[in-house]
Amino acid sequence: MSAEQTVETAQMPAQTKDTRPGVDWRGRALDRAPFLVACLMLALIVAIYGSLQSGVFTLDELNLDTAAAMTLMLAATGQTIVLLRGGIDLSIGGMISLGTVIAATRFTDDPSTTAFWGLTILALGFLIGALNGLLISLLKLQPFLVTLATWSILNGVAMIILPTDGGSVPGWWVGFASAQLLGLTSPVWMLLGLFVFWWWFCATRVGITIQASGSNEKSAFLSGVSITRVNIVTYGLSGLFAAGAALFLITQTGAGSPTIGKDYILPSVAAAVIGGVSLFGGRGHLAGTLIGAFVLTLIGNLVFVLHVSSYWQPVASGVILLLSVLASSVAEKAARSRVQ
Amino acid sequence: MDLVTVNGLSKRYGGIVALSEAAFSARVGEVHALLGENGAGKSTFIQILSGAVQHDGGSILIDGQDYRPANPDAARARGIAAVFQELSLIPDLSVEQNIWFRHEPRTLLGTVNRGEMHRRTLALLEKYDFPALRPEQELRRLTLAERQIVEIAKGLAKDPRILILDEATSALPAREAEWLLKLTRQLAAEGRLVIFISHRMAEVRAIADRLTIFRNGSTVAAHEANAVSDDEIVTQMIGRHLDRLYPERVPTMTDRIALKVANLASGSRLSGVDFSLREGEVLGVGGLQGHGQRELFQALFGATKANGTIELWGKPTAIGNPRQALTGKDGIALVPEDRRGQGLLLTKSVRENLTLSVIKRFTENGLLSRQKEAALVKEMVDFLRIKAGTPEQLAGTLSGGNQQKVIFGKMLLTQARVLLLYDPTRGVDVGTKGEIFQLMRDLAAKGYAILFHSSDMPELVHVADRVLVMRNGRIAAALEGDHISEEGILRAAMLETRAA
Repeated sequence: MSAEQTVETAQMPAQTKDTRPGVDWRGRALDRAPFLVACLMLALIVAIYGSLQSGVFTLDELNLDTAAAMTLMLAATGQTIVLLRGGIDLSIGGMISLGTVIAATRFTDDPSTTAFWGLTILALGFLIGALNGLLISLLKLQPFLVTLATWSILNGVAMIILPTDGGSVPGWWVGFASAQLLGLTSPVWMLLGLFVFWWWFCATRVGITIQASGSNEKSAFLSGVSITRVNIVTYGLSGLFAAGAALFLITQTGAGSPTIGKDYILPSVAAAVIGGVSLFGGRGHLAGTLIGAFVLTLIGNLVFVLHVSSYWQPVASGVILLLSVLASSVAEKAARSRVQ
Repeated sequence: MDLVTVNGLSKRYGGIVALSEAAFSARVGEVHALLGENGAGKSTFIQILSGAVQHDGGSILIDGQDYRPANPDAARARGIAAVFQELSLIPDLSVEQNIWFRHEPRTLLGTVNRGEMHRRTLALLEKYDFPALRPEQELRRLTLAERQIVEIAKGLAKDPRILILDEATSALPAREAEWLLKLTRQLAAEGRLVIFISHRMAEVRAIADRLTIFRNGSTVAAHEANAVSDDEIVTQMIGRHLDRLYPERVPTMTDRIALKVANLASGSRLSGVDFSLREGEVLGVGGLQGHGQRELFQALFGATKANGTIELWGKPTAIGNPRQALTGKDGIALVPEDRRGQGLLLTKSVRENLTLSVIKRFTENGLLSRQKEAALVKEMVDFLRIKAGTPEQLAGTLSGGNQQKVIFGKMLLTQARVLLLYDPTRGVDVGTKGEIFQLMRDLAAKGYAILFHSSDMPELVHVADRVLVMRNGRIAAALEGDHISEEGILRAAMLETRAA
């Protein structure tokens, strides 16, 4: 060692106090830009819809639209949890189909039988999701591949149980969706329930751990997180919400369908992305997803009142998806250039 | 009795032996330094202690009882916390959420008790006199140094009996590093064991009671700190006698100006910077951390927007973005601060890392020439003496020093002759440091022009031909010849700060 190396690190006197500015409002706004853009889109769509159709700004319309969006909202809630974890769940399509066909073939007028099978469907949803999570961890495979495979399997099973649309559920089950309390239908109460759930979930250790694992998996592991357990819970919840979506969906269709679930896979991801949930994990909120689900649903209404071909609906959905992705990436870029 | 006793510890990764026959013992209430070159097995050793990986053979006793943690949680349960060099923080959580992650105080509803968490955070920061941090701020808005401080708070939040600090000072500015050294002594006085890893001998000297030296995965020696000379330590670390850390400084600069910067400004951190860098010169950039050094390098490289004029080899240049800055013989190349995050693709091979940004150089008629690529890669690996099994070895599996060499190689392959080196020896072992300094002087002799920032002041003093001292985003002084000294740099960095 040369003598130079051992020169004592020079002493530094105490320096000036922390001079950083207070709350960084602009940075915060940029962080939330994708969500704000989603709100703006919703407002715009509601405004256009309201100007073309009378009675849009009524409680009835809220009840109707929420009922129309609720299946997607439930599916997208599960998807949001998975996206926060940094994964994706395609199997919800299979789970929704399977849920509707089990319900349509097993539910009877006897409430206890129906309750038993309802709970079975929910439990099945959680277990199949948990299995997804376990497979992803044990086989160290991409969530995309694993859930693609389970989607196919669940779809097949649904087909075996009920090859074509059919079956039935008791009338009182169908009536659930239009049941009212204080002028609000059950879907609206469910929507409020989702908000409460999310507020609670994000503040629990489980919720924080899932978000953290999506934000930086290695750091989470070094902090003592069991990645396997996180995956089991994450995909389990997603399966649970998919099963819930199936139970709600069947109040509207009144019958089981072995193919209906696929209609919710990509929209559930799209709703989350429109609402500002990052596909790379760690960032996003359910509020955004729910707004995204409303946007996607209202586009359907808009296409209807414009009297154009209903094939314009997916076109419009795609354009809106692109716009919101663009908005998030612009905001992301602006935010990053501010940090350093 | 010793708190920790390790015997015959071994660990293999595939065919690579990371640890063999490592031994270690340390007592309650001491600061125990762990020394060794990069790749000597220190990181593996602390990963085993902290439960991140499991050992294959040998034994660890804590309080005389067998210790074999299956995961970081099990290690924590036995009172061991590690402050990792790579940091175990979550970018999307706030500072306080990170500090208490998975140990948050909770309400009856199972939700995190934010008020209580905030109170505990303030109490912790207060107790150990932490540098200013805003607990609510999101982690990803913090600088590397601030993150390092959060990681330390996170380790202390667990109230560990054994705290491992893995090169925790290397990311800190001088004032905070000083604080950490004081803190380390305080923790030992509280009856904890602190295992301290650092490449800075002065720090080890300042605080360590005892030290253990690793080489090639084995323990070479353990000493009482005051019973061994620096010379002996270094000899044991590298297994040979190192004559000089710093190469001889032969002036090689010409009159040709390679880089001329006038009135460069960027945001609030950089205002009115003027200087010129000559061909064959190593120009140091020093000063207290956070006075615009980072912004200067980023502005020159085009990574942030800046105003002012930049001339490269006499030609005015507008450097818009990093891609533009990279291209061509007249270009600029940067060795970034965060080599794992910005410089290297850890899951790609050495070859891919070297050639990714210069694919054009071995493309013929739109097709890649693998032969040409292989020749270029071999030339670089040989020239820089990169220790990799094959060029196909993944960059992430190399030691820190060798990773840094790959970044140098990547930079040299761009053929740019103006090089920006931002803290190139951070976290690099003594042997490789020497090689890097020699390389810098060799490149200067070949006509490269080098702008060099280091957080370790002696490096500037002994390697640079001139030193620019930055203060409040400006060049406060340009030191030459005999005026280059640590005292000189500090004086220029601080004196007028007081006047202002």
